[in-house]
Amino acid sequence: MTQITNNITDVLVIGSGIAGLQSALDIGDSGYNVTIIEKSPSTGGKMISLSKVFPTLDCASCITTPKMAAVLHHPKVKTMTYTEVKAIRKISDGFEVDVEKKPRYVIEEECISCKKCEEACPVYLDDEFEYGLGVKKAISIPFTNAIPQLPVLTESKCIRCGACAKACPKDCIDFLQEPVSMTIKAKAIIAATGYEIVPMGTKKEYSGDTLLNVISSLQSERLLAPHGPYGKVLRPSDGKIPDNIAYVQCASSRDKSIDVPYCSRVCCMYAIKQAMLLAGALPLAEITIYYMDIRAFGKGYEQFYAQARAMGICFVKAKVAKISEDTEHNPILRIDRQEDGSKPQDQTHDLVILSQGILPTRKDFFGLDVALNEYGFIQSAAPTLSPALTNIDGFFVCGVARGPKDIPDTIMEAGSAAMEAVNYIKGKM
Amino acid sequence: MTESVRPKILIITTNHSSYPGANAVGQARLAYDSNTYILRVPDPVMFPEEFYLNAFEKGIGGIIIMSSGSDCPYEGAYPRLSARIQNVYNKMKAKNMDINRLKLTTICTVCTESFLKEVANMEQVVSK
Amino acid sequence: MKNDNLKIAVYICHCGGNISDVIDVKRVSQELATYPNVVIGKEYAFMCSSTGQDMVIEDIVKSGINRVVIAACSPALHEATFRGALKRAGINQYLYEHVNIREQASWVHKKDKEGATLKAIALVKAAVEKMARQDELNTIKVPTTQRVAIIGGGIAGMRAAISSAAAGLDVVLIEKQSHLGGKLKRSSAIYPTNETAASVVETLEGLIELNAKIKVFCNAKISSISGFAGNFQINFEFDEAKTEKVEAGVIIIATGFDHYKPYEGEYAYGLSNRVVTLPVFIDIMGTSAEKKLIYDGKTINRIVFVHCVGSRQIDGIDNAQDNGKVNDYCSRVCCSSALFTINKLKDKYPDVDVMDIYSDMRSYGMEHETYYENASKKDILFLRRPLEERPTITPLPDGTFSVKTVDVLTWNEELELIADMIVLVTGMIPNEITDLLEYMKIPRSSDGFIQEVHPKLRPVESANKGIYIAGTALGPMDIIETLQASNTASSKAVALLSQPEIHMDPFVAVVEEDKCSGCGLCPQECSYEGALCMRETDVNGNVKMVASVNQALCVGCGACVAVCPTRAINVAGWTLDQFDAMVEAIAKG
Repeated sequence: MTQITNNITDVLVIGSGIAGLQSALDIGDSGYNVTIIEKSPSTGGKMISLSKVFPTLDCASCITTPKMAAVLHHPKVKTMTYTEVKAIRKISDGFEVDVEKKPRYVIEEECISCKKCEEACPVYLDDEFEYGLGVKKAISIPFTNAIPQLPVLTESKCIRCGACAKACPKDCIDFLQEPVSMTIKAKAIIAATGYEIVPMGTKKEYSGDTLLNVISSLQSERLLAPHGPYGKVLRPSDGKIPDNIAYVQCASSRDKSIDVPYCSRVCCMYAIKQAMLLAGALPLAEITIYYMDIRAFGKGYEQFYAQARAMGICFVKAKVAKISEDTEHNPILRIDRQEDGSKPQDQTHDLVILSQGILPTRKDFFGLDVALNEYGFIQSAAPTLSPALTNIDGFFVCGVARGPKDIPDTIMEAGSAAMEAVNYIKGKM
Repeated sequence: MTESVRPKILIITTNHSSYPGANAVGQARLAYDSNTYILRVPDPVMFPEEFYLNAFEKGIGGIIIMSSGSDCPYEGAYPRLSARIQNVYNKMKAKNMDINRLKLTTICTVCTESFLKEVANMEQVVSK
Repeated sequence: MKNDNLKIAVYICHCGGNISDVIDVKRVSQELATYPNVVIGKEYAFMCSSTGQDMVIEDIVKSGINRVVIAACSPALHEATFRGALKRAGINQYLYEHVNIREQASWVHKKDKEGATLKAIALVKAAVEKMARQDELNTIKVPTTQRVAIIGGGIAGMRAAISSAAAGLDVVLIEKQSHLGGKLKRSSAIYPTNETAASVVETLEGLIELNAKIKVFCNAKISSISGFAGNFQINFEFDEAKTEKVEAGVIIIATGFDHYKPYEGEYAYGLSNRVVTLPVFIDIMGTSAEKKLIYDGKTINRIVFVHCVGSRQIDGIDNAQDNGKVNDYCSRVCCSSALFTINKLKDKYPDVDVMDIYSDMRSYGMEHETYYENASKKDILFLRRPLEERPTITPLPDGTFSVKTVDVLTWNEELELIADMIVLVTGMIPNEITDLLEYMKIPRSSDGFIQEVHPKLRPVESANKGIYIAGTALGPMDIIETLQASNTASSKAVALLSQPEIHMDPFVAVVEEDKCSGCGLCPQECSYEGALCMRETDVNGNVKMVASVNQALCVGCGACVAVCPTRAINVAGWTLDQFDAMVEAIAKG
C-alpha cells in the first residue's frame, strides 16, 4: 500500500451528494480550500439517480450535473472519489483524516473516458446505480452522467480475460493497482454523509425483499428516469406495462416495530411526484396511494398535492397490514381502510412501490466521538443557536446526516454548515 | 453511404440542457444520421427571425431548436423564444415554405430517446 | 482587433481511435490546413495529453498562433484544459474554440465514416470562422462594498448578522420595531429544546452586542433601495426623525412572517373571548395559575383545538383573503406546535379534556412524532375530518360552544362536542413588505411569500443578484429551519463579497455604440431590471442615445440581441456574425 502524506486542506467534506456538493461550493466560493471525500466512484449522491424532483418537476440530472461540474472545475475544490475515510483524529489545530483511495484498476490521469473497455468486457453484473433493475459490465463508467467519467473494474467479478486491456487505446488498465492510503490534515470537517433507505425486507409483513413486483421508491425513481434501466415503466417480473399501481406510504417510517418511529419527511412528496409522472407515462393506469397522513408541508407542496388529486390520483387513508402475491406475481395488499370503517380487504395491484423510510448512512464517525441522537443521526449541539454545530469543535453537519429532509432543506443546511466552517477557520486565524 | 447530398439539419442546443443531452446520446453510443450539425448557444432566444430564414436560404434543410423549456435558467426567455418562432412560421408560410422544417422542442440533459425522435422526424421532413 | 493578422491553428484529436476509427482525421486536418486564415493543421493521438498541450503551446509561442481550434471530445471534459494551455502560452484564453467530434460525431455515426468525416470538416470550418471573428475577452470585475445590510431583526436577521460579521463583513441590521427578537420575544417554551423563546433571542442579542462590526438601527423605516450586487444603497429613517444612508454589497431580507388573524365569525372567532388563536393560547398558558386553568373568568375544562385555520384553504370552501385568493399552502409548523402545546397543557392541567380536529397530522420533525404519540397517550381525542369538511362552532347561551365535525375515524359520522374554550391553530402569512419588494424588484410566490430564484437548488437567493432571503420571509419554517436558512443566506453574502471585486464570466451583452441607432427596442426585451437601458452617450464626439449594459446585472441570455435592427448589441463570445459565418460554413460543407 502506498502512503502519501502532507495533504492539507481548510475544510474536508465527507460526502458529495447535494449536501456535500453545495457546502463545498459555498466554502470554495468564500475563498477557502475544500477537499471532498466520496466513497462512490461518482459525485452526485442519491440526487443524481432521481427522475424528477418535486414540486418543480425539474429533471434531477439537469439540476444536479451543473453542481457536479462546478465542483469538478472549481479552483478551490478538490474531489477524491472512490475514496473512503478510515479514521479521523482530533488534533490541536484541526483534524487528521486517514483515507483510502480504492483501486479503479484504471490509470485515472490517462483515461479518456471512451468506454472501449466497457464495450469489450464480457461480464455482466447487477447495476447498483439502477438498484438492481439493470445490468452493467464488470468494467464500466458508473452511469451516463457520472463525474468523473472514469470506469471502475469490479475486481471480484473480473475473469481476467484481458479484453478491456486490449481494447484500451491508452493502455491504462492496470490489474495490479492497489489501494492508496493517505492522511489529510483539515482545519474543519463537514459531515454530509446522507442516507440509505430502509432495506426492503425490514418490514417482514411486506415481503419487499422477495415479491418480484414490490419495488422500492428508489427503484421506481429509476423506472421513471428518462435514462432509466428499461427506458420505460415496466414491472420487473415479466416486463408487463403496469396499469394498476399502488404506493404504500410509511412502509418503513413512523413504525416502532422496525425501530424507525420518526417520519422520513420526503416520502409523501416523492410518492405524489412519482404518481404524477406515472400518470403522464401511463395515462390509462390507475394509481393509488395508501397513506396515514399526507405531509405536504414544504413550500408549494400542498398545491402540488392538490394538483395530484385533480389529476385523478387516488388517495386512500388506509394502513397496509400485509402484502402477498397471486400466481401471476400480482401483489395483494391487505388494507385496513380508515375512512369508511369497513373490514380489512384485499386489493390486487400489478406493481407496488414501498415508500421506504430513511436511515443514516453512518452511525460511527471513524473513531471520532460524534454525538448522535437516539435514531443514529448526528445531533445538533446548539439547535437554537446554530444547528450545524456538533459536540465536536470544528466538526459540522448538514443535510440528511442530521435527520431526514428534502432537497431545499438540505441546501439550506449545506450553506449553514459552510458558513460555520468558514467562520471557525477564520476565528482560528 | 455518403450523406453529403442530403439536406443538412442544424440542431441548436443550449449550454444548459440539450447540449449535454446530445452528449448523453453519444455516451450511450446511440446512432443518428450524420447530416446533423449541432450548434450550442447560451439560449436560442438570441436569434432574430431572419437568422432562421437566412439559414434556410444558405441551404440548410431543417432546423431543430432544442431549448431548455421550463428548465431554462434565463427569465422570460422561453416565452419570448416561442413567440418569435411563431413569427418565423408566419414568415415561412408567406414564402410558401414547409413550416415543418423548423421545430421548437425541449430536450433535457438525459432525454436521449426524445433527441433521437426529434432528429428522425426532421430527417423525414428534409428527405421529402 | 478583428483579424488584421489572423493565425489560426487547428488540431484534430484521434482520441486513440475513438475518433480516428470513424473519422478520417488526416483528411480533416489536411483540408483545414489550406482553409483561409489557418496556418497550422495537425492531427495527434491524444490532444489532452501533456505532449498534445505542449504542442499547442509551442505553436503559439514559436509560430505566433493567435487563435486555436481543437476538435476532440466534449468541451465539458477538456475545454478548460485547453483554455489553460492558451493561458500558459501567454494568450487570451477565450481565443479558443472546442469542436466536439466524439460524443456528437464519431460515437453516433460509427457506420457512416464518410458522413462523419464530412461533418467533422464542416464543423471545424465553422469553428475557424467563429474564431476569425473572436475578440479577446476578459473577466468582468465589479468593485464591492464589504458590508451586508440586513432587513429585519428577528432571529433570522440576528443569526445572519452574527455569521456575516464573524466572516469579517460590516453589518447593518435594520429593524422596524423598537427591539430585536421579533415574534420570539416572549416567555413561552419552544420545541424542541423546551427553553423559553426569549432565551433564544437573548443569546443572539448578547453576541450582537459584543460585536463591533454590527450596527443596529431600531424603529427604522426604509424609504428607498437602489443599486445592484456589490453596490446597493439603502435610505431609511430611524428613531423618529433621524435619517441614514447605507452602502452595502449585499442585502439580506429577514422580514419574517405574521400570524394569520381569523376574520370575525371564522370558527366563532371574535364572538367570544374564549375563542383564541394558538399563539395567544401559548401566552395564556405561560402565565396561567397552577392546578386550574382559569380564563375569561371561567374555569376551563374542555378545549377543542382546530387545525389548519388560515392554511390549506380550498377555493369555493373557504373565504378568500384580502388579496382575493385563499391560503392554499400548509403553514408547516402548526401541527407540531399544537401537539407540543397540548402536551404542555396536559402536563400542567391533567384534568382538562382536549379534543383535536385535524385533517392530516403533519408532525414531520424528528422529535415531533413523539409529541403526537405522547399526546395520544394522554387521552387526547383526535378527530380527523375529511379535507373538504369544516367544523362548525356555535357559542351556546351558557357560555360553552357546540362544535360539530365529521370524523373519518368513526365512519364519517357527524359528532357534536361541547367545549368551554376553542383554540384555533392558525398558520403563518407573509408580512406586509410590499414597499420593500417594490424597491428591490423582487417577486412573490403564489403563496405571497418571497419568491426564491429556484425553489429546489437556490432556496435563499432572490431573482435580484446580491439579495438573499433568510427565514420565514421565504415561507413557513420553524426556529431551527430559520437559523439554517439564515446562515445559508449569510454564506451566500460572504461568498459574493469574498473578494474586493466580484469576478464574472465575460459572456454578457456588449454594445457597439457607433452601430447603435438608439431605437430603444432592446431594453424592452430584457427581463433583468437595470441590466439594459438607453443612455445619452458621447460616441466619437457625437452625443446620442445608445443602449447601455450594466455588466453586473446582465446574465448573457441574448434576448436583446434578437431585436436589434443594426446588430449593435451581441453577447460577447456568441455574436450573431459568428453564428451566421458558422451556419454558412456548415451549409457549404
